[in-house]
Amino acid sequence: MKKLIFISLFTLVTLTGFTQLNVTLFVNATPPGTLSEWGNRKDVLTYLVNYRASGAILQVKIKTEIKLNDGTVAATTDLANARTITLADGNNLFSAADVLPLGAMIFNGKYKTTFRSTGKLPSDNYQICVTLVNPVDYTPISEQRCRNFYLAALQLPIPVMPANEMTLSQEKAQTAIIFRWTPVVPRPSTPVVYHIQVFQVLPDQKPMQAFRSNLPVLDNAVTGTTQYIWQPQLSMLSFMQPADSSANNAAGITFIWTIRATDASGNPLNDGNINYDGRAEPAVFFVKPGGDHPVQSKRKTKKN
Amino acid sequence: MISLRNILALFAIMLSTNMMAQKKKPFSISGTAGVSYEYYGLNRNPSSWTGFYPRKPWNQVRFTFAPEIKFGKNFSLPLNVNLSTKATNFAGPYSGIGKQSFAQYITNPMNSIGANPKYKWAELQLGTQYLNYSNLSTGDIGVFGAGFDLRPGDFLIKFFTGLSQQSVNFFTGPPATTGAYKRRNWMFQFGKAEEGKYEVTMNFAKGKDVLSSLITPPPFIKPQEGFTTSFVTKIFFAEKWYFNFEGAHSYYTKDLLQPLDIAGKSFKPFIEAHTSTVRDWAGESAIGRKSKNFDIGAKIKYIGAGFHTPGYPFLLPDRLDYTLNTRINAWKNKTNIVASIGQRVNNVKSTTLRAKQFIGNINWFTQFNEQWNLNVSFNNFGFQSAGGINPYGIKNVSNDFGINPSYTWNNEKVVHLLSLNYNYSKYDERDVITGAVTSNNTHTALLTYIPTFLTKDVTPDFSFMYFYNQLPGFKLTLITLSSGLSMPFAKKKATFRGQLQYNFSKTNTFKNNNNLVASCTIDWKLSKKLTWNNFISSNYFKYGNEIIPNGANYLESNIRTGLQYRFGK
Repeated sequence: MKKLIFISLFTLVTLTGFTQLNVTLFVNATPPGTLSEWGNRKDVLTYLVNYRASGAILQVKIKTEIKLNDGTVAATTDLANARTITLADGNNLFSAADVLPLGAMIFNGKYKTTFRSTGKLPSDNYQICVTLVNPVDYTPISEQRCRNFYLAALQLPIPVMPANEMTLSQEKAQTAIIFRWTPVVPRPSTPVVYHIQVFQVLPDQKPMQAFRSNLPVLDNAVTGTTQYIWQPQLSMLSFMQPADSSANNAAGITFIWTIRATDASGNPLNDGNINYDGRAEPAVFFVKPGGDHPVQSKRKTKKN
Repeated sequence: MISLRNILALFAIMLSTNMMAQKKKPFSISGTAGVSYEYYGLNRNPSSWTGFYPRKPWNQVRFTFAPEIKFGKNFSLPLNVNLSTKATNFAGPYSGIGKQSFAQYITNPMNSIGANPKYKWAELQLGTQYLNYSNLSTGDIGVFGAGFDLRPGDFLIKFFTGLSQQSVNFFTGPPATTGAYKRRNWMFQFGKAEEGKYEVTMNFAKGKDVLSSLITPPPFIKPQEGFTTSFVTKIFFAEKWYFNFEGAHSYYTKDLLQPLDIAGKSFKPFIEAHTSTVRDWAGESAIGRKSKNFDIGAKIKYIGAGFHTPGYPFLLPDRLDYTLNTRINAWKNKTNIVASIGQRVNNVKSTTLRAKQFIGNINWFTQFNEQWNLNVSFNNFGFQSAGGINPYGIKNVSNDFGINPSYTWNNEKVVHLLSLNYNYSKYDERDVITGAVTSNNTHTALLTYIPTFLTKDVTPDFSFMYFYNQLPGFKLTLITLSSGLSMPFAKKKATFRGQLQYNFSKTNTFKNNNNLVASCTIDWKLSKKLTWNNFISSNYFKYGNEIIPNGANYLESNIRTGLQYRFGK
């Protein structure tokens, strides 16, 4: 009997609550491919719940589904493990961390495999649908709100020319060096700014040491294109380099270069990049008297 | 912070240690030590114009101390100390750091203090070490700490632990500091190897950020943890053949502040899964044959989309590379051909946005006779990807062709070398919105003349270069005249080497820019072991009217002087 009364009361509160809840969902049309980054960014997802309670407390759970356009469900909230939320009177704002709690999401089939290994979902058009449910029997207590978004794993540029460990002619390099790289894929809707950065490796340094510690001899930004012509205005003779005046000129000079991809405001494109700076894997090149040689070997560092 | 005075005092102590060491027979030292001061100046005109940024610190003192001390036959103590007085970090965790604590100073990648005492097969590793265990576990980071490298018989046992980055608090500036968590690293390798025959090793690399290491954590950088295991095998067989393989698996938590993931797969006690933890595979393999006149090899490398390792933080994931390369020597070593062909696939895990990059190059060198040489090269790369939400996919194609004949002739007094180098480069880029292809064409011609006087000590060289780049709406012309001179003086105790370079550049119809670079070195042998090295350089650049303010110019000046001491005989 007690149970029956409880269910009746709960249904009453739920039905009343349905009419008192206004929900709105904002989702970035092209959010980061790495789902764990959604929670770190405020511009990705906002779920606004307007609750007119007149003093009554309402506890809810957020049910989220990520679907493909054909209705295939890629992920859904495990409501048993989802957090129970107490709505306050007025506006309640929720971010991606609340709406898409990765620890309480169930991924299906190949989406589970891909998410566990990469932290992303396969590139595709998706729909995210959010509903407030009651925490006991998971019946919906709000309207479902759905938004479409396109998910793509962003690939940072790859330095192509000069290729890693390529040797350039000293005589030509002192006038101009052409840099080329692959573009950010997929091309974002806003222009990508490519910051080309070149560091000189001093004779007693490892290339990565120079990369992390020296001032760049070139730091220039270009928009829209993937080529840059650098006029170094430097002496390219190796005996003119620090701490190595007695060096044989044939030893050459070593440089390490990278591309840092940002948006127009200077924010790095960071989708999944563990350095959070938008820098591509750097490449090393040498400038020596004589000529342009293809890549000598693939390894950058000598094995100890 | 170590001051200049302390560095000089340390340098003096090291020199006296060396002198004492030379008196005792079983105790010997080789290697070098040096100290140098470098001044950099930049004058921009008008002074309010900021169109060119300084490329070096205004003042910098560098100290190098790299002796190898040997006690008898079995014990050696190589030291490696490189210190600079001023932090110049631009990229990486120390980016923008100004005033440093002592701990930050000694672990800053611009400095390294290391010692590797070795007794027979046992080596102790102390201080800053850049250790390369394998291509997929660890090798790209400097770690300040302690460890060992033991090689009893055919066995390999290595371990190292320390800090790869100190904590740096976030600061909005100016100057702004990016900030970084303190990161502890551990690495371990065990295996068996016989030089020239085989190597089999297991590698483990772990890195973990210390959550409590910061007062003001950086807002955009998250604390991380990673653990990688790899298995490496290398086999050399049938004298000239080799086979290498490495398979690796990584766990990587991109944000330790996110909650633990009960459903996620942990690898306790090494790493516990959070909701931001990913795990994936990587592998690489190579097979080939090497000989005096013929090399051939094939390589394949796969990096999974979720593969990250603390030992290679810049490794680009989600890619598959394969290349085939060869080298041929023929015609009594007078012809040399080096060629490679390969493809890189990006976004391997993303079926709709897979990007393909083709790379091929060939370099053919022939010496026809004692006078004539010819070098011909061709490089091609193409990059292609589906459009995604854009109407057209990305398609970039680059073709470079180069030809370089050179002619040598001589008489009793002079050997002349004349070299001509022509290069044509074409780079096509497709716009993903309109589908229009932009062609970017570059012609480069370089003429070099080097007379070598057989009866004089003067060695000059001369070169002329023409560079022309064109794409729709843009033309760039560069002309460079360059000359160098090298000659000894002061009874051959000193050497002067100088270079003068004039660059003319012109963009579209703008007035041309002028650039003059002059640099020289004077190296003076003060004694058999002590050398005084000097370097002076200036770079004057004057714009025409392509930028505002018209006629803007700058003068970069660089002066460096230093002493270098060579230990031992």
